[in-house]
Amino acid sequence: MSKPVSITINGQIFEEDVPLRLLLVDFIRDVAGLTGTHVACTWEGRCGACTVLLNGEAVKSCMLLAVQADGENVTTVEGLAADGQLHALQEAFRDRNAIQCGFCTSGVLMTAVDLLAENPEPTDGEIRRGLVGNLCRCTGYVHIAEAVAAAARAMRAAPRP
Amino acid sequence: MYPAVIQEYLTPTTVDEALDALRRRPRETRVIAGGMSLMQLMKARQAEPACLVDLRKVASLREIRIDGAGVRIGAMVRYKELAADARLHGAYGGLGDAARTIGDRQVRNRGTIGGNLCFNDSAADLPPVMLALDAQLEIARTGGPHRTMPAAQFLRNPREVDLGEDEILTAVLLPPAAPRSGSAYLKYGFTVDGPPVLGVAAAVRLGADGRCAAAALAVGGVLPRCRRAPQAERALVGHSARDQAALAAALETAAQEVDTHTDPWADGAYRKVLLRQLGGQAVAQAFGRAAGGA
Repeated sequence: MSKPVSITINGQIFEEDVPLRLLLVDFIRDVAGLTGTHVACTWEGRCGACTVLLNGEAVKSCMLLAVQADGENVTTVEGLAADGQLHALQEAFRDRNAIQCGFCTSGVLMTAVDLLAENPEPTDGEIRRGLVGNLCRCTGYVHIAEAVAAAARAMRAAPRP
Repeated sequence: MYPAVIQEYLTPTTVDEALDALRRRPRETRVIAGGMSLMQLMKARQAEPACLVDLRKVASLREIRIDGAGVRIGAMVRYKELAADARLHGAYGGLGDAARTIGDRQVRNRGTIGGNLCFNDSAADLPPVMLALDAQLEIARTGGPHRTMPAAQFLRNPREVDLGEDEILTAVLLPPAAPRSGSAYLKYGFTVDGPPVLGVAAAVRLGADGRCAAAALAVGGVLPRCRRAPQAERALVGHSARDQAALAAALETAAQEVDTHTDPWADGAYRKVLLRQLGGQAVAQAFGRAAGGA
């Protein structure tokens, strides 16, 4: 019924005895208290708002159980900024108004981190295709795609560790 | 929706341990791989397993091995890894095509070839590729030797596979790549990289003269199940990539021999249009890859 798990989120270890059916997204929000990771659909894996990095790879955190992440490393949107400095993607989203209601934003950012790690110089088509797992109902994606491209340029110009 | 209560969650580290785990609660246990299908069923309460056997720690299921005997793809190999493996070109090109266009980035980071085949949805990309590439599936069971069977036998009607409650799909086996062979997969879905309304996998082997010596054409997204188009395959033999009229005629044969159903996504006649169009492109791409192109 329940099982103790140890999940590292943004470098911090969270240990808790959790019901086996608890979804990772609810571990992140309710156990770790990190509410930057959103749920926009009803845990159906459709919207991508709950996207986090699992061992560096973008996954929808409603699509796995917390116990499946036992012993693994998770990065959420709260883990993107370092030393008080926003991630290049966050800066680009802010500068280009790639946000309206903001509900999808954290998931889009996490998918974009994974996309740019694999492909540092994506075309507009590659950016758009890379983000099909993240729904935004406000922006029409134009500013989002532009912001990802701008962040990619900034990251190529000034790589951070 | 949310999964029902789960009583037990096990993470075996070997196939034997996994088989033992399966025997603890027969009929109440489900094997979970990437979970891209099973988690959806569980959240919709279409599956309420008391026990989950997670294969994520079984390292032997994660390997892609390519040698003179062909290709052995562990059941836990993810779409991401299939898509990125530069060795899966030419004769195996169709597999990469499918893996690169399944779902979305997040799905490809989690979903596995074994999970896809065991779920066997009617709108899935890998089943037709398996048929066109003459894949064999390797299955482990308690107390007995592994058995292998053709994908065509394993993949029964949608969401049905020839797999016992005490068995685990361990690997996909592809025959060695013959010289001058190529394959390709193309699909049409209503969203980018979405589930196929129709998908076509083509595989050809060319003779030294560049003419088709053997062909396979498989169609997914059709009911009752994905299938080969043997008459069309025979019609492709003897032709080169330049014989446009003959290739088009072969695809017309395919459109006639494959029943296409009507559902809210597309009517049967439209699926035949897709079959001709996508099939023609897939065949052309397979010819190109067989001739050494990308």
